[in-house]
Amino acid sequence: MSTSSIRRLSDRLAMAAVVVVIVVGLVFLAAPLLVTALLAFDARNYLGQLPPPALSLHWFDKLFSQDYVVAGLSTSLEIAVLATLVNVFIGGAAAVGLDRATFPGKDALLSAFLSPLMVPAVVTGFALLLFLSNVGIVSGFARLLCGHVIITLPYTIRATLSSLVGRDPRLTEAALVLGATERQAFWNITVPLIRTGVVTGAVFAFAISMDDVAVSMFLTDPTTYTLPVALVANMRASFDLTIAAAAVLLTGITTVLILILERLVGLDRILGQGLFRS
Amino acid sequence: MVESFREFTPGRVGSVAGAPFTFANYLELASPSFAGVLIETFEISIVASLVGLLIAFPLAYCAVRRFSARWRAATIGLMITLVLLSMLVRTYALELTFGSVGVLRPLLLWLGISPTSRWYIEGLVGAGLLHAIVPICTLTLLGAVQNVDPRLADAAKSLGAPAWKAHLDTTIPLSLPALVSAFLVSLTFSISAFVIPMVLGKGRVLFVSNVIYNRFGDIANYPSGAAVSVVMLGVSLIVVYGVSRAQRLRRRSL
Repeated sequence: MSTSSIRRLSDRLAMAAVVVVIVVGLVFLAAPLLVTALLAFDARNYLGQLPPPALSLHWFDKLFSQDYVVAGLSTSLEIAVLATLVNVFIGGAAAVGLDRATFPGKDALLSAFLSPLMVPAVVTGFALLLFLSNVGIVSGFARLLCGHVIITLPYTIRATLSSLVGRDPRLTEAALVLGATERQAFWNITVPLIRTGVVTGAVFAFAISMDDVAVSMFLTDPTTYTLPVALVANMRASFDLTIAAAAVLLTGITTVLILILERLVGLDRILGQGLFRS
Repeated sequence: MVESFREFTPGRVGSVAGAPFTFANYLELASPSFAGVLIETFEISIVASLVGLLIAFPLAYCAVRRFSARWRAATIGLMITLVLLSMLVRTYALELTFGSVGVLRPLLLWLGISPTSRWYIEGLVGAGLLHAIVPICTLTLLGAVQNVDPRLADAAKSLGAPAWKAHLDTTIPLSLPALVSAFLVSLTFSISAFVIPMVLGKGRVLFVSNVIYNRFGDIANYPSGAAVSVVMLGVSLIVVYGVSRAQRLRRRSL
């Protein structure tokens, strides 16, 4: 064999290996989700073989007939909406402040704001539990809200800050030169310019809050718990397909979030929002 | 932090107010059983992070250089959807597909694999981590791969190098800093994982996070839980230090 045909053969082998890796990777990522979605509509009363012989919604009926699911879901949604709203303000204000700040220690302050990303969630939850009970906050709802605000804050700060850094500051200056007050310039020029970053941060904060187990598990009380915490507890007790129905429900919420992102930001632009900066 | 030095009296919740300070909670951590958990956490995390890069890098490269615009958008859309999708949902989906009562059970038994064997459960926990790592790494690597000049690999190829060697000598070294930081990001994520080992490990494979929760939840030994937390915090700060070092090296090399 000549060297060029060896070269062609090795290239073809390498190409085939890359294709196999990508296909296996994508199947691994997608297949379990499709299996779960299909089984959630399974008409049988037990966990059986694929494909299901008939489809029905009875797992969803069972899911919503359980009190813990309804209570957990409403607590989860309340906490997620409140935590997101609080964070759009705190995170937005912190980002605007940090963007203008010139004082020494600015980087340290930013690191402090982003530190919940670095600290393992279980440590955050455990520390918060000890801290809040020492301070005297024992209500489950207040504890959960504190925890969720803390763990989702890095996302809103990062996304808002990166869109602030990426905007053209001359537009604000132009508005000021043309006679706008600081306040007018901020609300009419800066806010519309950083809207995509704020929306991205808010959507990520909401998603993280809806999904959290590790922090919430420490902060719940017997009457206030979030849906994921209730589901995990149920998953340990019994393993049936009501949880598959819950998974489809949570996937539906994620789909709404994706549609919001696609509409208001555009999925390809999210990469520029600083959340995946390594 | 303070709690971790308190003496624990079995049978009550938390430490007695004003309990004497002691190092006993830390000494206990030097025992083989805790060391085993720590080692297992790291082993599974490191393997999952490496395999994650092995899948994410070709995916990111092809998304940027090979796929059509539509496929590229679809790949990015899928990855963002996965990142936003509840980790609990994904873990449950994996358990339902590959777990001991999952739909693949007959296939596993036919292959002679016991779905309750320890190494299979370890693999399953690794697969759970992988499901989270691949989308994050792919999105992280996209930008880095985009910045590598494709003409360098073309030049190597036109000078007679096979395509795989051309990439090995140009594309991969140029994206190495991004690969290193993606690896460390995956590692920090993995070692602090909680839900994944709890659902997929079924109590047989424990991560450090699960030990902390068990100390708190099952035996209400707060001081010991706090001691494990402090150790874990230290370990993850060391990894984070590694991340920032890698980033600094990267900035210097650009």
